[in-house]
Amino acid sequence: MVDVNKLREKAKEVVSRDDVRMLIGYRPGTYGFRARPAFVQGPDEVDELIFTPACVNNLASYIVLEEKLPVPRGEEPDLRKVAVMVKGCDSRALVQQMEEKAYDRERILVLGIPCTGVVDMAKVEARFPNVLERGEIALEGDKFVLSTGGGKEEVAKEELLADKCLRCRYPTPLVYDELLDAEVARFADDDYSDIVELEKRAGAEKWAYWEEKFSRCIRCYSCRNVCPMCYCEDCVLERLNPQWMRRSVDVSENTAYHISRAYHLAGRCIQCGECQRVCPVDIPLMELNRKFYKDVEELYDYEPGTNAENPPLLSTFKVDDREDFIL
Amino acid sequence: MNGKPKIGVYVCHCGTNIAGTVNVEEVVQFAQTLPDVVVARNYSYMCSDPGQALITDDIANMGLNRVVVASCSPRMHEPTFRKTLLSGGLNPYFLEMANIREQCSWVHDDPIAATEKAKRVVEAAVVKARRLEALDVKEVEVEPSCLIIGAGIAGIQAALDIADAGFKVYLVEKSPTVGGHMAQLDKTFPTLDCSACILTPKMVDVANHPNIELMTYSQVEEIGGYIGNFDIKVRKKSRFVDMDKCTGCGACAEECRMAGRIPNEFDEGIGMRGAIYLPFPQAVPAKYTIDKENCLFLSKGKCGESPKCKEACQAGAINFDLQDEVVEFKVGTIIVATGFDIFDARLKPEYGYGVYDNVLTALEFERMVNASGPTGGKVVMLERGKKKKKKEGEEAEAPRMPRSVTFIQCVGSRDKSVGNEYCSRVCCMYTAKLAHLVKDKVGHDCEVTIFYMDVRAFGKGFEEFYDRVRREGVKYIRGNPSEIYKKGDKLIVRAEDTLTATPLEHETDMVVLSVGLCPRSDNREIIDLLKLSQSSDLFYLEAHPKLRPVDTASDGIYLAGVCQGPKDIPDAVAQAKGAASAAMIPMASGKVKVEAQTSVVNEDTCRGCGFCVELCPFSAIELVEINRMGWPVKVARVNEALCKGCGACAAACLSGSIQQRSFKDLQLMPQIKALGVK
Repeated sequence: MVDVNKLREKAKEVVSRDDVRMLIGYRPGTYGFRARPAFVQGPDEVDELIFTPACVNNLASYIVLEEKLPVPRGEEPDLRKVAVMVKGCDSRALVQQMEEKAYDRERILVLGIPCTGVVDMAKVEARFPNVLERGEIALEGDKFVLSTGGGKEEVAKEELLADKCLRCRYPTPLVYDELLDAEVARFADDDYSDIVELEKRAGAEKWAYWEEKFSRCIRCYSCRNVCPMCYCEDCVLERLNPQWMRRSVDVSENTAYHISRAYHLAGRCIQCGECQRVCPVDIPLMELNRKFYKDVEELYDYEPGTNAENPPLLSTFKVDDREDFIL
Repeated sequence: MNGKPKIGVYVCHCGTNIAGTVNVEEVVQFAQTLPDVVVARNYSYMCSDPGQALITDDIANMGLNRVVVASCSPRMHEPTFRKTLLSGGLNPYFLEMANIREQCSWVHDDPIAATEKAKRVVEAAVVKARRLEALDVKEVEVEPSCLIIGAGIAGIQAALDIADAGFKVYLVEKSPTVGGHMAQLDKTFPTLDCSACILTPKMVDVANHPNIELMTYSQVEEIGGYIGNFDIKVRKKSRFVDMDKCTGCGACAEECRMAGRIPNEFDEGIGMRGAIYLPFPQAVPAKYTIDKENCLFLSKGKCGESPKCKEACQAGAINFDLQDEVVEFKVGTIIVATGFDIFDARLKPEYGYGVYDNVLTALEFERMVNASGPTGGKVVMLERGKKKKKKEGEEAEAPRMPRSVTFIQCVGSRDKSVGNEYCSRVCCMYTAKLAHLVKDKVGHDCEVTIFYMDVRAFGKGFEEFYDRVRREGVKYIRGNPSEIYKKGDKLIVRAEDTLTATPLEHETDMVVLSVGLCPRSDNREIIDLLKLSQSSDLFYLEAHPKLRPVDTASDGIYLAGVCQGPKDIPDAVAQAKGAASAAMIPMASGKVKVEAQTSVVNEDTCRGCGFCVELCPFSAIELVEINRMGWPVKVARVNEALCKGCGACAAACLSGSIQQRSFKDLQLMPQIKALGVK
């Protein structure tokens, strides 16, 4: 666990630097056990910063999503670094963003957090419903300790751990300027057993499954907005001329939206799981993304977001690429 | 010019090719109901003069500004009809073709369904035509010079033709001499011309021609640019011998401490050379080269007291400090004539090549029968690995001549087990030639046997030559040997005579493997430099197997010789002459049109991810920094002279920011919709 005082001290040092514009970190949420992003602009704002197993958000998204307002005539754009706190999974988003030349390495300052796992807030809320006062989550040994003004409760780690952490291959960030704690060795691996199960289903069964899931979609675009890899200034899926899909909410257009998005993420999704986490209607989007992730790993021996020197998978072509799967 | 669309639709019968299946009258009636269609007609052959006249007349009389031709694949006749539009005064890119032949009449039997499909295809073309835009055809100037990579017979011939026509040629050869594989040959089939006699004059010509800049022992390192304006970087490797001073006297080679100890590549390792060497006496340029891997002084830093070659050189040409030199120049066209490798006979271990001394490849045998080869043209039994320097005054035991020689054809050709399905096209005839030479040089009592699968004697004079060789007593046995093993001092070839279904064990002194021609093992270097494609046999791919056999998919880059596929000498020369004349077309006209259906980037939405940059097979896209509302951002930019309009970038762009002209999303989507379920 990262020592919070050390974290705030480091944050203070970083935001005081002349070449750093802001730091993106975490602070407690407004209710319950949640945490939320913090955008720290000066040294006097660091006292709220935390890192706990409640810090689920992937902050890498904010680096690419921050709107670049027009620079008034006669002024220079503020090109100072953005500092960002990342867990292992989140760091892969940075790597993939850099593979895709979203920004240069020197534009960011990365505070890496070796991560022992975060909670699935849905599991927490199922277990502790309707907690409105602020609470805290800490990891002690193999137990999460959840405390509020009303008391403390211990829960076995695996009961609340996010699914993605159960399959995490990269708990220690792959890119950082500074690590805020000792490296965490790999404590889990991914055998894709969930995807293998899905693959076994017959076509009609799969279709019925997804038709039901997609029929729920309200096209809020939260999945796209939170995704660290979805940062086109003008998203093709929302464009009106030409219109690739209507904005109407029906199963046909919803399906087109989700399938297109999954294809756009093939070879790029780094499995932070944010899309599924924020979905208000519980569509298991990671099942789609993980299917592609598995295919990409098996077919091309490639894991997105692991090596910034690699060109993005689907932007390359080699004569000896496998093609036995092409119909 | 864009105005309100006025579309003419022209449905071709293509004789009965289309009209035999599709009811063209019905398609025409349907087309007349489509939006913005002013006129629709059908005609037996739209590509004929009267067919084209229908279009130009309607443009003149009805004010058409879009034309849809429903006929064959655009591959052949799109250029034809673009010219028709141009002659009618329209921008040629206001043409849309509907393929109702290859994609309809040829693949369907049911006339009713085929007619319905043809209507859909025509409708799709009409709705796309409504959205077509006029495109500018740009021209670029062509540098009147040509780079030729490889100086074998194909490269030499192409260089001489182009240079004789008055254009500058840069002829780059990797090895120290020009000549290629042809220089290694003794006689050539079927006429038995002496290979050296017909080749060496040409070798000398390329060295002396005022329009040819010959660069031997050199390699192309970088190629940039596009047709008309290629930027070339060539590394001239250091020979450690001053080319201007070396007289080619050979005193150095005699003194080299490594003399006779290094297998000479030119002699396929049958003959030996020193570290400083001339590959063969007629090499061009006749300048010595130091092989730095084997030179004691260059590899170990010490060669006795001092390098003996340097002492021996009266001209003072040897200079161990000479460095590689990199030269840069511009050319308008490029001819690739990089040749081939022979099949590695070790990949057929059952034949014991590399195990038994007297199992040879045909090229080794060729060196042996060559009068200027290591044995002086004598066919002798080999004792490999026992090469010792003859001591002064000691008479070497005269090597024994074989009493029987056996050839095996199709080694590494027509053989799926080694991945080569193709026929190498020369082995049948060179085997017959070598068989003749055995009879000629060893004597008519030397027994010559050839194991073959088929004899392919397809060329001019080939069958006659094959007959002649059989009359000379060469025995042909149809069957592919399964194994060679040694029994005493004889080799036993185990095979089945498939004409009589008799298994046999054939005893012989020497086996010659008629190895096939393979793509060069270093092909990759040229592919990476020029972005060439390969056919399934891994030779370089021509632009069209029949009608563009010397062109590549990249404008201004042509193929000559075996690098495109196995060929004999006359075919290689013919193709070289073809490549030379193809390369001279843009150089002579001085200008070339470049693709108009290029890609274009919307710099407002491009996020600069560079997927397109990596993907572009023509290196036509780069990332440039622009100012977007005060912020420096990187976006993709297309070099229109390089873009070939393949559309790979447009397909990969996640934000749809790069679009190919004439194939923009806005043009394609109505087309797709028209084809879709109604």
